[in-house]
Amino acid sequence: MPLGALHDDSVDVLESAGLDVAELRRAGRRLVVRSPDGTTFITTRPSDVPTYVEAGAADVGIVGKDVLRERTPDVYELLDLGFGGCRMVYATRAGDDPTRAAIERLGAVRVATKYPVCAAAHFAATGRQAEVVRVSGSVELAPLVGLAHGIVDLTATGSTLRANGLVEREEVLRSSARLIANRASHKLRAEQVESLVSRLEEASR
Amino acid sequence: MTPGDAEPSPAEPPALPAGSRDVLPVEASELREIEAALRDRFLAWGYREVMTPVLEFAAVMDRAQEGGLGRAFRLFDESGRVLVLRPDLTIPVTRLIAGRLADHPGPVRVFYVARAFRPPRPGRAQPSELRQAGVELVGAPGPAADAEALALLVESLQAAGLAEPQVTVGDVWLIAAVLAGAGVPEEVAARMRRAAAERDLVEWRAEARALGLSGTATTLVEDLPRLRGGRELLARIAREVPDAAEECERLGVMLDLLDRHGIGGAVHLDLGVLRDRPYYSGIVVEAYAPGVGVPIAAGGRYDGLAARFGRPRPAVGFAIALDDLHRAVVAQRAEPSRLRPGVVLVGGMDDDLEVARAVRRAGVPVVALERGDPSGEGLAAADGWRFVARRSGGEFELHDTATGERAACRSLAEEIASRA
Repeated sequence: MPLGALHDDSVDVLESAGLDVAELRRAGRRLVVRSPDGTTFITTRPSDVPTYVEAGAADVGIVGKDVLRERTPDVYELLDLGFGGCRMVYATRAGDDPTRAAIERLGAVRVATKYPVCAAAHFAATGRQAEVVRVSGSVELAPLVGLAHGIVDLTATGSTLRANGLVEREEVLRSSARLIANRASHKLRAEQVESLVSRLEEASR
Repeated sequence: MTPGDAEPSPAEPPALPAGSRDVLPVEASELREIEAALRDRFLAWGYREVMTPVLEFAAVMDRAQEGGLGRAFRLFDESGRVLVLRPDLTIPVTRLIAGRLADHPGPVRVFYVARAFRPPRPGRAQPSELRQAGVELVGAPGPAADAEALALLVESLQAAGLAEPQVTVGDVWLIAAVLAGAGVPEEVAARMRRAAAERDLVEWRAEARALGLSGTATTLVEDLPRLRGGRELLARIAREVPDAAEECERLGVMLDLLDRHGIGGAVHLDLGVLRDRPYYSGIVVEAYAPGVGVPIAAGGRYDGLAARFGRPRPAVGFAIALDDLHRAVVAQRAEPSRLRPGVVLVGGMDDDLEVARAVRRAGVPVVALERGDPSGEGLAAADGWRFVARRSGGEFELHDTATGERAACRSLAEEIASRA
């Protein structure tokens, strides 16, 4: 289970798929919760969900496509759950787009991001050189103080970008919540996983 | 030393490169036991061992796949050619068979127990050194060879101590035939196969739905990598996509043979098991066991691989990841490793050399200590030896640490034999 933005919708969709989530709703700060129906819920940061599932510490997990693109874990991606929609965009300061000038005169555009893999792949796929600067938070700051020409970050409504005088220039990817499964669990607990997929498919329709 | 100099630093703890690790005696002996069990099965099926060098030319290994090898440790020889530490065994063994066994009259059956090397991806706790045991059956096309490889795989995993290995079998030709037979254009089919090989079933379904197929096979195509089963699954596919009937029949024959090999229950068709390499053909195999989140063995048929080394021949094989298999065996075996029936003999290095020799000749390991050495019981406990013996008057006192008993005896060899 991912902490943060995807958490509540994840609990809801699991409930409509017939899982007993009462204990999970009462979890408070507990990270491991056992349900009377035999399910164990593990709650962690979204970016750690693929790590737990890839290693088999969890059989299945819910996580955003953005995290999967960034981490490229070796897991099965089973279902688009439909919620948690957001976009990863490339944004720069309002006014003239500095990207082309930066590439022409400096050889590369400098991009600050929490998603260095996605950012690098986006510029590589469009044949442009980018110097990716990894930052951990408040990415919007970077172009305002000259650390970078632009940023690659997630946006839902665009209000944070606007508030900092940034405008979207390009869409990098569209994300939504995905159900993922460990490779071994997908085979060894095939019936349970398949039944969960079918019920979630029904519930997220 | 002048006052400005740095203090000589205390010796730093010796580090290992990421992904490398030492193997201590208990694990080493368990790994060797597993290896011995696998070797025994490979030999029983008439496979002969080969060894290939750790270093190969990168250009030769690169022939195996478009875009060259993926992750590998690379270095240069003295004339500047790029070498690699072999990143897998299938490619070197295929090179060996194509070159050295080109004139071999019949199907070639070889096995290897060796290590491959791959740089670990950061933050993933991946080993850089992969212990592998595998077989190659070259020169035999068709379902009988596929069934033999699967039967040998299951039997080997069982011999190594796995109670219930689960082997899943996909098939690249079946997938290709279904997509072509359902009218999926080749460039879309290629993207779908890549998505399935990357285990991205969301992407597969999005591609399938975007095609706007209509007709009996629409659901089948959308769900293909989710489908598992046996003969009923093959029957459904053959009914809905007649162009794939031939592949279904081949797999049906294989399932019949697996039943007669006595391992039908351990093998399941799973159409989500796929690889995206052009030389793969026919079956794709992965084996799993409880307690390990990755496949403990993988393989399949790659009829196109040998041609890249100049001698086209059909081939099927598998490689077992020994460390993952060992983890699975540990996960299923509750009890810690047992005491070994050896004896720590105080005085066996000096006063009682003759006794030590006699006990060893009787087949019991003797760990010798000098006379009066007080570390007998401590050493036995640390290294897992069951007995400690020391001279007491004209006799020996034998301490059986498994039961706590202390017995006086004249002949150590006989006393130990009576207890073992």
